[in-house]
Amino acid sequence: MARQDKTGIPWLALGLPIALGLAWVTHGSGVIEDDPERNIAIPDELTMPLQVQAAYSDSHIFFRYRWPSERPHILHDVLVYENGDWVKKGSAVPGSNPDGLHEDRVAMMLDDGSVPDFARYGGYMTIGAGAAGFTDEAPEEVSKSMPGTRIDLGDWASRQAPETLQAQREAGYFLDLWHWRGHRSNPLNLADDQWVGAERSGDAGRSPYTTNWDGDAGQPLWMLDPEVAGQAALRWEDIEAGRVDFDSPYFLAEDTAIDFDPNHDWQNGDVIPRRLVRQTEGSRGDITVLGEGRWNDGYWDVTLSRRLDTGNPLDDKILRDQGLYAAAFSVHRNATGGRWHLVSLPVSLGLGRDADLTAIPFQGRTPDWADDWKEVTLFYPGQVNWPLLVSRAHAGAPDIAEGTPVRARHSERQLAIYGVEMEFKDAIIRQWILTLIAGLIAMFGVVVALLPAFRNTSNNRKGEPS
Amino acid sequence: MSGLHHMLVHFPLGFWALATLMVLIGALLPGRMAELSRAALLPVLVLSLLAALVAIASGLLVWPIEASTSSPLARNHILTALWSLGVFTMLTVLVWRAGSAAFDGARRWVLLLLALIGISIFATTGTIGGHLVGATTQFSELLKLFGWDVYHTFFVPTWVIAVMVLIGIVCAVLGLKGRRAAL
Repeated sequence: MARQDKTGIPWLALGLPIALGLAWVTHGSGVIEDDPERNIAIPDELTMPLQVQAAYSDSHIFFRYRWPSERPHILHDVLVYENGDWVKKGSAVPGSNPDGLHEDRVAMMLDDGSVPDFARYGGYMTIGAGAAGFTDEAPEEVSKSMPGTRIDLGDWASRQAPETLQAQREAGYFLDLWHWRGHRSNPLNLADDQWVGAERSGDAGRSPYTTNWDGDAGQPLWMLDPEVAGQAALRWEDIEAGRVDFDSPYFLAEDTAIDFDPNHDWQNGDVIPRRLVRQTEGSRGDITVLGEGRWNDGYWDVTLSRRLDTGNPLDDKILRDQGLYAAAFSVHRNATGGRWHLVSLPVSLGLGRDADLTAIPFQGRTPDWADDWKEVTLFYPGQVNWPLLVSRAHAGAPDIAEGTPVRARHSERQLAIYGVEMEFKDAIIRQWILTLIAGLIAMFGVVVALLPAFRNTSNNRKGEPS
Repeated sequence: MSGLHHMLVHFPLGFWALATLMVLIGALLPGRMAELSRAALLPVLVLSLLAALVAIASGLLVWPIEASTSSPLARNHILTALWSLGVFTMLTVLVWRAGSAAFDGARRWVLLLLALIGISIFATTGTIGGHLVGATTQFSELLKLFGWDVYHTFFVPTWVIAVMVLIGIVCAVLGLKGRRAAL
């Protein structure tokens, strides 16, 4: 015993717990940080709750959504007068717009069973190669799409022939998209009725907004009507101070706007919304807001309504009593746009029958909501697309091929973490390999250090400690 | 291969659990049971390494390598499995080197320390394996309580990697110096 203590250095064994302990307390740091150049901005909160209720009458279906938001974002992009020029502010950026300009939104994709994978994988299946906002986004804006609309999943440009796409649509291979916008539809109690096929498209008809910009003249097309709104423009300092609310003339509409007057006495800091909100027409106007969509005490509360049968089966999923459907939700908040929303896994929707979300039948014009919500967890999906999920790089690809639902394998929190890690995949893999090797080197060094102390020097009987 | 891997991991699991128990008994208890534990430890450790190598090899064949390296859980499973193998290899080398004197004096505490580290890492490996097949345990909640959510890839910043390597190098150098001094 005495000899090994003189020649060996048993206390060097502590090198291993020190190395591993240091790794433990520092793990996970040094890689994940925002990188706008690569379209990377990680939300502070990776998950959030969304409460949903549904009800239906003989003719209409109603969805009520309630979600927390620190403050409402009811302005979208704007035009600010600066030294003779109208400067656009509020463009979509990775993450939250620094000026707080970008409208809040809630959206719902809906299917009637014509797209079986949607009930299993929800919005994941609508994210194809080259999606806008990804680090490897395509040179042109690539929106949501159905995987079957592409000849090659890995090639965003490889669309099926137009007649094939039309046949898919007629066969029901598309998703209905309800899209409520805090600025570009809500002021007129409207939502945008869209659908997802080869891309995200608006239903036939007129959209609830148009752009307030005359490119040739380099000025807005419209301004606030001072006689109606009480002012010709908003003021930038009011926006910055958060003084623009529902009682402010925060939107341009056909009955509150007049043609832009370049000779008006414009002052630096005058602000005109860059969008004009207008009444929808045709299939695009199928969805309306019941009552008013309002933010109050930290929560948005929005109820949308639509006819069960809109008469537009190529744009909408027609709903029926006792029908079973699939829905998935998303929310934009904190002045985010593009892919920086939080999304849900798919939930089943039953009209008068058991489902994750059961729409309750009622008689009359409006539902009498009880305090009985379906709680849905929304999560940040990161940069995960369908081509990846069905590739060899996803261990669950065989499960997808067999039709195993995502919920059977992953929780929302897990998916959010994976979504973030996917944005730093190469850096994380490199650091992980180095960490693994560094641990093994530490072990090797410690065992070499201990070898002198573990020479066989015992004079004791075999197996007996000294 | 997945089913085969599930079967094969039972062997290092059993051997390493047994080896840890033998180190505990051999280091802390007197008597016949302790003697037997000390005497039988080396063969158990050798068998454990052979079993672990086979189990790890089978695990690497469960999924394509690009899938394994793309999954945070799989990355963690691989890292902890290899670190478990590393620690129990240390134990095996030291016990083999010291022979019947492996538990003499302060050595027993070294063996005890390594065994506890090794079994802790291997328990983590098994827990992550459970996650990979959809069977989670409360142990991962314990890890989370101590600061690691197993859904996050375990990696450290570059400066920590450098320190870990430095620790290994310094220890090795001191060990080699000690070896010369002992000659």
